[in-house]
Amino acid sequence: MDENIQTEVVSTAQPVLSFWDQHRYLLLIAVSIAIAMFLVTISMALYNSSGAAQLDLSRPGYSTVTSQAVKNDSNFANYPDTGTLDKSSIDQFRSLYNAQAVSAKAVDAFSGDPLDPAALEISAPVAPAQ
Amino acid sequence: MIFAKKAVLILGAILLGATTSINIVMAQGSTMTDAQISQIKSSCLTAKDTLAQLHANDALLRVNRGQMYESMATKLMTPFNNRVDNNHLNSKYLVAVTQDYKDALTTFRNDYITYEESLSSALKIDCTKEPVSFYDAVADARTKRTQVHSDVLKLHQYIDQYKSTFEQFVTGLMNFNGSNN
Repeated sequence: MDENIQTEVVSTAQPVLSFWDQHRYLLLIAVSIAIAMFLVTISMALYNSSGAAQLDLSRPGYSTVTSQAVKNDSNFANYPDTGTLDKSSIDQFRSLYNAQAVSAKAVDAFSGDPLDPAALEISAPVAPAQ
Repeated sequence: MIFAKKAVLILGAILLGATTSINIVMAQGSTMTDAQISQIKSSCLTAKDTLAQLHANDALLRVNRGQMYESMATKLMTPFNNRVDNNHLNSKYLVAVTQDYKDALTTFRNDYITYEESLSSALKIDCTKEPVSFYDAVADARTKRTQVHSDVLKLHQYIDQYKSTFEQFVTGLMNFNGSNN
């Protein structure tokens, strides 16, 4: 038809992809795993250093005592910090405090010597010669 | 030549010492004989079972008692001090005892962590292969448990001290109110 019409050939050649471009999904997964591992490491460090680990009775080895943990202390009444301080409020505090003090001191926790070598039937060492 | 002879004699003496019927092993200040080491090896598995049970029981004790000690401060002492303060009365002595109690509670928490870590490391030791290390680890945990117990006794003392300070405060308040009426 019209010879003046020029046809432009659009290049459809594929661009050259680098190694990382070709493996970008793998890279995404690897970076995600690395970030997750980093965050888990920080969490575990905080879990251990904060003392939470010592209070976590869901850990393996504690299954025998988990059910005995006091899950809520709702019977431990909260003394109101507002209001007048008259005889009845003082008596109320005295009664609450005395009751809780008795139960707090009722158990001599960590007493005894269960780690005594004799109790564990592991021999006592000989004193080094002077 | 003389030097070589001396070296052989010293080496011989060392070997003789090492093969004497009573060997002595030292680790962290503990000195043990072969008989003691073999006794640890023979009874350590039972001991480890006892330690594991103690580990669990002490954790339960820490959770339950810790909660109780915490509540004494947060639900009783601090609210009462605030109430005294809100009524423009002198809460100085009550606050001081409460602070001492809270400090003792922090010490108790930290000492328990140290004790638990020590007991956990004793439990991780293969006592049939490392009896002396096991013995030393148990001895270390024993010392730290004693410390936790003394922290508990200190907390009990502060609970009593707060009670007597409270009674002194009440006496002072009654006297003040009596003299004003």
